[in-house]
Amino acid sequence: MDQDIELARRVAAGDAAALSVLVRAHEAAVRRFLRRLAGESADDLAQETFLKAWRLAGHYRGEGRYRAWLMRIAWTTFLEAQRAGRRREMREAGAPPPPAPAHPDLRIDLERALAVLGERERAAALLCFGEGCSHGEAAEIMELPLGTLKSLVARARVGLLETLEA
Amino acid sequence: MIDDGKIVALFASPERAPDEAFVARIERAVRAESRVAAARRTAWRRFAVECAASAAILAVFDLLWRLRPDELALAQLPFAPAAAAAVLVLGLWFAVEMRPAATGR
Repeated sequence: MDQDIELARRVAAGDAAALSVLVRAHEAAVRRFLRRLAGESADDLAQETFLKAWRLAGHYRGEGRYRAWLMRIAWTTFLEAQRAGRRREMREAGAPPPPAPAHPDLRIDLERALAVLGERERAAALLCFGEGCSHGEAAEIMELPLGTLKSLVARARVGLLETLEA
Repeated sequence: MIDDGKIVALFASPERAPDEAFVARIERAVRAESRVAAARRTAWRRFAVECAASAAILAVFDLLWRLRPDELALAQLPFAPAAAAAVLVLGLWFAVEMRPAATGR
């Protein structure tokens, strides 16, 4: 974590090589999170996430894990893309709805179970069950009150269990 | 009955080496973004210089319009320092614009 803070400080000073080290360390987690949320557009969103991390490097103050800060950017990037997609859909009324996120790497049961969750429940489950975030960390990432986040995780847990046990 | 441990296990992914192709993609994107940012800064700086030069030109025209041959000498006008500064800015702008690097010649 200290190493990440030092690297983040160097990125804020304009050191692109330090960003590459951070990308190597965190790309797998960021892309996994986005792939399970957004499906095929995950890598584009991940690229946008790391570019924002480059632009906003000075905003990271070393409070909390760097990965959690990245996940927060990834989540807001995903939400922005969703909103843009919905606006596009409204303009092109009558277009078919986008397919549910899918990736061949995901186990089919988990994929099915995640697909039935709402996007906020899915994100909460991915952060808490998949990325090992604490409830507090996940609440910060998703910019939600802790109670709301806990409710989302609980609902996600019930939804996952119902699908997995069916 | 599936417990939380099993849910966590379902989410678990095997550790893998960093994806160098993806890292290279980000490096390229960062380089491109840096180039665009530098070009944008240059364009804004140029715009500011052009604005200052335009203001200087207008000030000089204003000065010329106000002057009459039979009136006061330039040095006696109350706005002479401002006019001199405008002429100086205009001269600087002209010098910068006429540089071979600026004109591409």
